[in-house]
Amino acid sequence: MSIIREHTQTTLSDAWRTIDIDALDPDSAPNFDTSTLHPPQPEITEAEVRQLTTQVRQLLRGGDAEGALRGCLDMPVYNGSDGVKEMAMGLVVEVLQSIKASEMVPVLRGVGEGVGGGERVDVLMKYLYKGMAAASSSSGASSAPRTPTRVTPQQTGFSQMGPRPGASAESTGAAMSVLLSWHEKAVEVAGLGCIGRVMTDWRKV
Amino acid sequence: MSQSLRPYLQAVRSSLTAALCLSNFASQTAERHNVPEVEARTSPEVLLTPLTIARNENERVLIEPSINSIRISIKIKQADEIEHILVHKFTRFLTQRAESFFILRRKPIKGYDISFLITNFHTEEMLKHKLVDFIIQFMEEVDKEISEMKLFLNARARFVAESFLTPFD
Repeated sequence: MSIIREHTQTTLSDAWRTIDIDALDPDSAPNFDTSTLHPPQPEITEAEVRQLTTQVRQLLRGGDAEGALRGCLDMPVYNGSDGVKEMAMGLVVEVLQSIKASEMVPVLRGVGEGVGGGERVDVLMKYLYKGMAAASSSSGASSAPRTPTRVTPQQTGFSQMGPRPGASAESTGAAMSVLLSWHEKAVEVAGLGCIGRVMTDWRKV
Repeated sequence: MSQSLRPYLQAVRSSLTAALCLSNFASQTAERHNVPEVEARTSPEVLLTPLTIARNENERVLIEPSINSIRISIKIKQADEIEHILVHKFTRFLTQRAESFFILRRKPIKGYDISFLITNFHTEEMLKHKLVDFIIQFMEEVDKEISEMKLFLNARARFVAESFLTPFD
């Protein structure tokens, strides 16, 4: 019996051409083990973040904004569940929003000094980018229905009356402008290098 | 330039300057190929963390850096349906002429209006700061252009309606 005769219509199809054989080879470039690129990080639990939150809030109430920021940047959540990461993110944003615009540069300089000061500014930068990404993607889902089904007289742009369609974006816009001005100050203090380190670091907050 | 636009553009400018650090890098999967890694996505170790810069929920920029290419995607402000249509027409006009734009991507990535793809070959033959300036200027101009087009459109619609309705006066 020859091999040819064993072929059926299905085995003769060219579906096999679309199989990505690189994905099946453990040594191929797409299967590179990226966990070798960074050291394992200690896992941070919810209780630890909660404890940090109370400490940081105490410092904020005492008027020590620099100490509060330093506290939450000293313990970045590299390894933890999504909920814990959200909590830590919320804490950093809370601290950032409580600092006045005129105090940003002195606080940043203070945070950037001492042992691990550069690291702290890098961590701050990671949180800033994460904050902007999170806020835009969560609201992006809600504003997604930009389909013609939603056409109402107010939204054709001809009418000057009625609520502005972008009015709900005001609150997120305000939060975003805080992050943007912190971003500007961080670049001013630590230079472009801290953006480069955010991009290249595999430890993500 | 309005007050809130300045820090946004400044953040985009500094992030772009930091991200535009490209070097020649041949494909690791196909011999004698040289492809933008950010598009091919065949080697996870050469893709860097994507950066998002947002001004508010419907105005944002996504920068996806990799070793030999970066992809910049812009979501242009669209306050209402008219602006949505105008942005679509405008970006379509540009992307159809992507060939003569060099860095323009033919198709925007999902969730954004227009994408640029800068490879190491572009940074070798063009000046890096000029590329950054171009993106920033584009972002500045496009908002102005869209609101101008909207004003023209409304004025034209009013004129047409008036002249159409005069016989019935």
